[in-house]
Amino acid sequence: MGGGAMSAASLPAPSRWWSRVATGALLPIALLAIWEFLGITTGGGRMPLPTRIVREAIILIGSGDLPLAILQSLGRVFGGFMLAAAIAIPLGLAMGYSRAVERNLDPVVETFRPIAAIAILPLAILWFGTGTAAAVAIVAYAAFFPLIVNTISGAKNVNPTLVQAATTMGLKRLTIIRTVIVPAALPSIGVGLRIAMGVGWTAIVAAELAVGAKAGGGGSGGIGQMMFVFYAYSIELNRIIVCMIAVGLVALLLDRLLRAGLRRAMPWVST
Amino acid sequence: MSAVATGRDQPLRAPRRAWGAIVYVRTMFVFALVWSAIAWWTDKSILLPSPLAVLQAFVDLARDGELFEHAGISLGRMAISLAIASALAIPLGLTMGLHPRFERIVDPTLEMLRPISGIAWIPLALFIFGIGNALPVFIMTYAAFFPILVGTVAGVRTVDRRLIDAARTMGIPQSTIVVRVVIPAALPSLLVALRLGVALSWTAVVAAELIGAPSGLGYAVEWYRELLATPQVMSFIAMIGVIGYLCDSGVRWLNRRLTPWAAGR
Repeated sequence: MGGGAMSAASLPAPSRWWSRVATGALLPIALLAIWEFLGITTGGGRMPLPTRIVREAIILIGSGDLPLAILQSLGRVFGGFMLAAAIAIPLGLAMGYSRAVERNLDPVVETFRPIAAIAILPLAILWFGTGTAAAVAIVAYAAFFPLIVNTISGAKNVNPTLVQAATTMGLKRLTIIRTVIVPAALPSIGVGLRIAMGVGWTAIVAAELAVGAKAGGGGSGGIGQMMFVFYAYSIELNRIIVCMIAVGLVALLLDRLLRAGLRRAMPWVST
Repeated sequence: MSAVATGRDQPLRAPRRAWGAIVYVRTMFVFALVWSAIAWWTDKSILLPSPLAVLQAFVDLARDGELFEHAGISLGRMAISLAIASALAIPLGLTMGLHPRFERIVDPTLEMLRPISGIAWIPLALFIFGIGNALPVFIMTYAAFFPILVGTVAGVRTVDRRLIDAARTMGIPQSTIVVRVVIPAALPSLLVALRLGVALSWTAVVAAELIGAPSGLGYAVEWYRELLATPQVMSFIAMIGVIGYLCDSGVRWLNRRLTPWAAGR
């Protein structure tokens, strides 16, 4: 290792984008080439290969199966997400605004927070069956905790002088919450929304997978279910990998979209 | 507001803590009462058993050791996974943080894999490893790997370059610089990352065991659900929560002990 390589000063000037892309693309291309080569020389007909994965991806997208499954999953994520937001944000604001409310409700939140959403899944299946309702409940549970924790911390970090000023002027509590607390807590709520969306998307994949696994294929679609069917019924590894890539891409897209939306809604916050 | 409050409350800490415990018990008592009322009103013990039935099941499961047996299996898997994930991610993160050129080559590949959650790997991993110990360990290692890596890289970035340069001027070999300068400076960020890694891998273990393991807490939850033994299901869910909480407290304690200067971050 060159002596100067470690100090910031000797770094090459910000390189041009194409050289950066080229450096970044080097390793993935090399890995894919090695995979393809090893697969062709050693593997059988089932062995997943990059070229086969691309072919299967085109088939799955062309037939509309993959987009439909993604849409089904997204619909559930949004359902659960909205449900969680509708409960967690008002509750979090109340808890952040009033010490008494927080002290009394915090034990319940803190008791259930360490329980992973996926652990609740068997209970959800018991209560709501193996359909959409169970999946939505899991997403709502998963999204609830990041949302409420961030809303509380946002509402607590409001400048107390502003609250006292508003109280002195005789504003009603609801007006204070609406005009002072909510605007000041928005950036933190935004962070909560982003975490909740990521967690919700992970939870939906897990929920659909497990429902598929435990309900004997009688589930109700979605990307997780689709993956399980490719694993258990028609062993198609290429298609499983297509689904995995889709899961990753959707996760990335959701985060980017939400971040762009938040930035547009709150231009004064740096995210 | 809180800064003022803590200043004044300092001498009252012990009674405050006791009061906090009383409030906790009071709230959970009300919660249990509401739960009992709903359970009594719906009167379907399979769907919603009373809190007492769950407590009874919890005590029974604890007494014949089943609870701890499954918990031990899950915890053992988590310990192995965290060890593997740290052994892979920390050296890689140190190298990436210290050599920007290496990072530019490796980073895009890792960033492509990162959005794919550990749970999405379950079907493929089931095919490769089958049902057994390897599957949950693989999924948890994967889940813990990325937060630890990101935390290490971020930690190395925060190291004061002048310290490294000063050490080098004094002719200290590279490996000593890494051990004595870089790692201590990166430690707070690394431990925060470890906390996230523990949380994520504990979530992943439940999912992995639920689907593809013949033992462990996730498996036990699913096993009792098939038997429609809801009190047992809830007991194991509670155990998952308790262990999740204890692991998190443990890492936080480690945080305070190893990096007291960065406490509260």
